[in-house]
Amino acid sequence: MAELTLRKADQPQKGKTWPKPEGATRLREFHIYRYDPDKADNPRIDTYFVDLDDCGPMILDALLYIKNRTDPTLTLRRSCREGICGSCSMNINGLNTLACTKGMDDSSGPIKIYPLPHMPVVKDLVPDLSNFYAQHRAIEPWLKTTSPTPEKEWTQSVENRAKLDGLYECILCACCSTSCPSYWWNGEKYLGPAALLQAYRWLIDSRDETQPERLDNLEDPFKLYRCHTIMNCAQVCPKGLNPAKAIAQIKKMMVDRKVAA
Amino acid sequence: MRETPITKTIIADPRSHYGNGPASTRHFITQRVTGLVNVVFLGLLLFLVVRLAGQDRTDLVAVIGNMVVGLPLMVLIAIVAVHMRNGMRDTLEDYFAGRMYRLVMGLNTFFCLVVALAGIGAVAKIVFWG
Repeated sequence: MAELTLRKADQPQKGKTWPKPEGATRLREFHIYRYDPDKADNPRIDTYFVDLDDCGPMILDALLYIKNRTDPTLTLRRSCREGICGSCSMNINGLNTLACTKGMDDSSGPIKIYPLPHMPVVKDLVPDLSNFYAQHRAIEPWLKTTSPTPEKEWTQSVENRAKLDGLYECILCACCSTSCPSYWWNGEKYLGPAALLQAYRWLIDSRDETQPERLDNLEDPFKLYRCHTIMNCAQVCPKGLNPAKAIAQIKKMMVDRKVAA
Repeated sequence: MRETPITKTIIADPRSHYGNGPASTRHFITQRVTGLVNVVFLGLLLFLVVRLAGQDRTDLVAVIGNMVVGLPLMVLIAIVAVHMRNGMRDTLEDYFAGRMYRLVMGLNTFFCLVVALAGIGAVAKIVFWG
């Protein structure tokens, strides 16, 4: 059942304002969501200042500056720092994106940073993505075949390989799924844009031989048809992919199959 | 009504289903087809609204009583009712589950049926009996 308001204990409150770096002349203000489930306190929004003359240009640089020099308890995920691993996805100034590829100069004024929306928070900017990964597991993201395994490898023509462009690049950062209101509402039953984009990637792989079975598994009012073409997913994808289009293609495959039956 | 908890094992199982799979595609097709037909029939509705603006009942009976106008209007009402029932289904599925869902879906069907029958009956009266 839907919850329309946050419980009082979940409502973020104004937090601590941390001291400005000494001697800094060019400062940037950050408002960052802080939450520690081990403490009984409400979440809070702490204010930090970053010395732009002593910090890289990206949001992730600023977060690491804060963690290394101001507040080591600030918790976040990061790894590759070049938009490949998808670890540092978070909500920056109201938009889900990767902290490592988002520049500080993309906006003016204080930068507001929250964890990905509508996910349980493990700590600070780290959301619990275990349901998201379970949904990815549910679409069986691997080659499924019934023919005998070839001696060398499963080959694919250049044209068939090209069909996977715009799909295989997904880094599973969860920006799209967590920006989708349908996913907020039915986060357990609806597979979400990321998993469905991957589902389509395997549905149209010319080497895969289990398309009917994959379609059977996806055919469900919640798993697939909760996409209402809101398009937030396409708007926020940091890799420039279009999950909504992939979902529309799956629906088209479902309709073609039904009409042909 | 409380739903059965959905565990991570259930979510990760490719064969997990949360509703009627084959019916979901049928509903999707119905919703799109009736939506498209509604767009087409919107022209008729706009024509009627403009044509009958400021007119009295005699003019209304003369226009809608024409079989060429009255019959498509009855079809439109039926299709709108089907579209309405299907659209509400999505919302009800979001809020209710199990027996409660079946109950509210039954009420939804009943309401749409009453709206369709009342509308079609009213137009039919004008077409056939004036």
